[in-house]
Amino acid sequence: MLVPMAIFAQHRFPQPDFESGYVYPERHYFTPAEPFWSYADVAMLVLLMGFVAWAVIRRQVRWPVILVSVISVAYFGFMRAACVCSIGGVQNVALGLVSSSYTIPLFVLLMFTLPIIFTLFFGRVFCAGVCPFGALQELVNVRNYRLSKTVTSVLGVFPWVYLGLAVLFAVTNSRFIICKFDPFVGIFRLGGELPLLLFGVALLVLSIFVGRPFCRFICPYGAILSLFSRVSFMRVKITKKECINCQLCHNACPVDAIRPPYENKVKESRSAGVNRILRYIILLPLVTVAGAVIMYMLSDRLSKVNSDVRLYDMVVQNETRPMEVQPLELQTFYGHGKTVEELAAEVAEINKAFRIWSIVIGAFIGLVIALTLIGLSTKRTRRFYEIDDANCVSCGRCFGYCPQNQLNKK
Amino acid sequence: MRRAISRNIALVSAIFIVVFSTMLITNYFQVSGSQTIQSELLEGLRQINEESGGNLQLQEQIRELDLLARKAYFISLNRLRTGVVILLVMVVAFAVSLQVYFAKSRDIPDKEIDPIDDWLTKSRTRKYIVRSAGALAVCGLLFAILTSPYMRTERSETVAYADEYEYESQMPEEALAMTAEPESQSIASDPETTETAVAAAADPATTETVAAADTIQVSRVTHNAFRGNNSLGHSSATKIPTSWDPASGRNILWRVPVSRQGYNSPVINGNRVFFTGADEEARELYCYDLTTGKELWRLAARNIPGSPAQVPETTDDTGLAASTVATDGVRVCAIFATGDVICADMDGNRLWAKNIGVPSNRYGYASSLLIFGNSLIIQYDNSNSPRVISLDLETGNQRWVRERPQKIAWSSPIIAYVNRRPQLILMGDPNIISYNPNTGEENWRVECMLSGEAATSPAFSNGVVYAASEYAVIIAIDAETGTVLWRDNDILPDTSSPVATPNDVFVATHYGLFARYDAKTGEITKTMELNSEFYASPMIVEGKIYLVGTDGRVFILSARSDFSLINSFDTGERTYATPAFTDNKIVIKTEDSIYCVSSL
Amino acid sequence: MKANKKNKATPEQRREFLRTCGRVLAGGAVVSLFGFSFRDVAVWNTTSLWQIDPEKCTFCGRCETDCVLPTSAVKCMHAIKVCGFCDLCGGYYRANVKDLNTAAENLMCPTGAIERRFVEDPYFEYSINETLCNGCGKCAKGCNAFGNGSLYLQIKQELCKRCNECRIAQNCPSGAIRRVSPSEAYVLKGA
Repeated sequence: MLVPMAIFAQHRFPQPDFESGYVYPERHYFTPAEPFWSYADVAMLVLLMGFVAWAVIRRQVRWPVILVSVISVAYFGFMRAACVCSIGGVQNVALGLVSSSYTIPLFVLLMFTLPIIFTLFFGRVFCAGVCPFGALQELVNVRNYRLSKTVTSVLGVFPWVYLGLAVLFAVTNSRFIICKFDPFVGIFRLGGELPLLLFGVALLVLSIFVGRPFCRFICPYGAILSLFSRVSFMRVKITKKECINCQLCHNACPVDAIRPPYENKVKESRSAGVNRILRYIILLPLVTVAGAVIMYMLSDRLSKVNSDVRLYDMVVQNETRPMEVQPLELQTFYGHGKTVEELAAEVAEINKAFRIWSIVIGAFIGLVIALTLIGLSTKRTRRFYEIDDANCVSCGRCFGYCPQNQLNKK
Repeated sequence: MRRAISRNIALVSAIFIVVFSTMLITNYFQVSGSQTIQSELLEGLRQINEESGGNLQLQEQIRELDLLARKAYFISLNRLRTGVVILLVMVVAFAVSLQVYFAKSRDIPDKEIDPIDDWLTKSRTRKYIVRSAGALAVCGLLFAILTSPYMRTERSETVAYADEYEYESQMPEEALAMTAEPESQSIASDPETTETAVAAAADPATTETVAAADTIQVSRVTHNAFRGNNSLGHSSATKIPTSWDPASGRNILWRVPVSRQGYNSPVINGNRVFFTGADEEARELYCYDLTTGKELWRLAARNIPGSPAQVPETTDDTGLAASTVATDGVRVCAIFATGDVICADMDGNRLWAKNIGVPSNRYGYASSLLIFGNSLIIQYDNSNSPRVISLDLETGNQRWVRERPQKIAWSSPIIAYVNRRPQLILMGDPNIISYNPNTGEENWRVECMLSGEAATSPAFSNGVVYAASEYAVIIAIDAETGTVLWRDNDILPDTSSPVATPNDVFVATHYGLFARYDAKTGEITKTMELNSEFYASPMIVEGKIYLVGTDGRVFILSARSDFSLINSFDTGERTYATPAFTDNKIVIKTEDSIYCVSSL
Repeated sequence: MKANKKNKATPEQRREFLRTCGRVLAGGAVVSLFGFSFRDVAVWNTTSLWQIDPEKCTFCGRCETDCVLPTSAVKCMHAIKVCGFCDLCGGYYRANVKDLNTAAENLMCPTGAIERRFVEDPYFEYSINETLCNGCGKCAKGCNAFGNGSLYLQIKQELCKRCNECRIAQNCPSGAIRRVSPSEAYVLKGA
């Protein structure tokens, strides 16, 4: 009676008694076979990843990767419109682990964990061509203009920061920013927000000349996979024969994951090197704490991403100085009869969560930066061209370039 | 041969893609632009049609336009869809031909960008990572500090004091911020000369130091009119003291005598307290400092064309200044029983004043003012020409006026948001009427106050208007449709207005009975004999009802389901005015003084 | 010194050891993620579909504009068992209509998606042409304000792309859009 909003069946007017023998039309709303499609997606994922793993590890051939890329772009990309994808699944998993009100559906959990499991066994075969985003970039790529290693290493930290922020906004149930700023989904859906579409197109044009800019410098899921890829049981080898240091594979690699041979000629005493690493290790807790402190200071700003927090700001503003034309959010808020105190209590909870998680995420980002620095201060002698397991996306481009493999065929 | 063909295909498709996508994007913008224009135009025409009551030519025009708009909408949708598919096909062609063209060309070893020495690269990378992380950290820190609420407080939400009060002429952007956030001005003042004031204004850094030197935090919670914002009897203030004693000075921040008498209630905005006082000699608007109780300025209503030479007769329990003022943090308006309306800025400069006609009223004019957006709303019930008037707050020009076929009421208007639309609800005798505050159009009216004299104001909660008046009725009206939900006439208030929560309606009678009605059914769920007399209206703050009796006894009751007396004590001063609330503070106006209760 | 060197592992061995540690950690992480997720039984049957709760919906019109699709996946539905079959229908006609005919100045729907059929005096049957409907909710608003509320908005599951995060849900002022399982893909009125 008192709720001014939609109420189930107001019954202002009684049901008519028809005299002409009117029969109510029957309408059924069919639920699409969602479980079927979910299982189809998971099956397709396993199948494609298995195929790629077989091709790049057992057979060392590239054509299956291209085939899988085409299938993935067509199926996962255009047909299934790229939702829910493994990359976005990061947020569902983060939210599901923290929130009691949200349970991760099994399907999403599998979409998230299956590529990780495969990576643990076979390296980043998911990135090779099963991921529609990687596949799309792989298919348009024709030439690889090398970027400076310095630039790529610095940019390579960004996915971790992005991952941290995505988890922060996911666990506070505010926003799924990976989905919000997804550059390619607009292309797959043949329409979307114009700025994002243009960004996606720009990335694609860039990936004609530079290998996989999204995978290398943006993708937060790639960052997670690179961790597992470092310790994978089996890994891609450029050739099964001995390397002849011809440098051809190094040039072919689109993601700069092949490291040239290196002989340590730095004139530096061993203790100096050890000291440097020690310094960084001492620095590690400092950087971590600094990250935590900065993010903590920013937490109030970050919490503005949450719609309830923004609503509360609006309400406070309206309470102090009533607006002539109230925005829809305010009108609805006042229409629903929730009190300002209740909202304030909710917002206080959200802000608290933001403060706590900002500290965690800030520490995480600081830790990543410190670990990157430590990783960059180790010297390792290499005699041959070697694959950098963390960055290799198993695209198989190097196989065809290696002269030793050619010999094999003949 | 194959290479040449694929190159040509790639070239052609690339040109096609660029041209076609540009066309698509421009088309998209054109269509989305024209659609909204057309629908607005259509909507406007339809409204004109409805108002004019069916003009055949206009209707023809509408039909034509409607057809056009719909055609354009569906054609553009289809065009966009096919366009995107064609584009996609061309992109595929481009990608394939590009791959074919480059299939045979190998990436031969090109010049290394990086130094051959891996260690050098690593060292350089470390340096860059440290630098960019540092830059990021500095940016984050700067952002955090610059946008932190503390900074904002220092810059604009503070009030600084000195002997002379002087509005600070600020930097243009700060001035802009001030109009946006009225409660955040800073009255900075200058102990010395105007020269330094100018210097301070010119140099923001100096301004900040001046402001920061002696600052006091001002709450954002306002009490802009009689019974709080929108006159609803609710305040969002927090940390309100639940006990005080003017005699011993416990929890009393300041206390000053008032110069001229008036039954109006104080209002609070930022650090300012406003109220009026009047007698035969002068009618005055006062502004006091909330933190110190010092009088900041006073403005007399004089030299107003049309103002009567002889003040109208009023009874002793109404007087010439029974109406409470209203403010929006930029302006403050007051009305007196002479029909004089004055509007001043926050520094006491008179902006405009006018006489809207001497009200013929057997007790004296008593309705309070209310500001809605940029208009001042005056319930001008009198026995000659009862009407409700909306004045432009900036100029005092009339926006709209509605005749009210009513007997005199001494109630005050409220603004209620019903289904996201504001309604101006006026109590009257015999009708309760809801108006559109923007246009003055009537939404609904309910005839119910058939006897007695209406002096109370309506209450509102959760889409329902509650009104109650002695010798008449207590009534609940669905504010969306104007249908009566329930009515009763057991326990009714005389002067004190009811307040409502979504569950309950509270009523304080002049004979000291305090009653709670169920908001849904209208049943009396609890009564309480408080042995006092109530003229002031109850206010709900922090889930508690604050009520002051005329004998000065304060009652604090729980407004939640338990509805119990939390505290009651005697302040020993005759009080008719409804108290005003802001964070930590209550301002109470008694018969001959005004004091501020503070928990700090 | 020499004996020391002999006992020392080679860099390769050291790396392999670290790798094994990493594998154990990684495997443990995946297993514990699964274990933790399966503490909840619901993990088996929830699939994320989005649906509008008609009880919360205020027909604000954002469904029309905020969906990622060019034409929104939100459509108007008609609970015919709730409908009063009125001649003067609040969803079909504009609020201040004078003549009850199909002239453009009298009709509510901007795309002409509501069709009506005469049943018997004075009753009319209404139906929605979903290919034309753009989900603006004007009719539902009118019907809920003046009629029985038989017109309401729902997300058509065959059109919905099931974004991981529904954009309308993010922008909905009343929080009426929630995740539902396939068994309750529609929240039907009067069913």
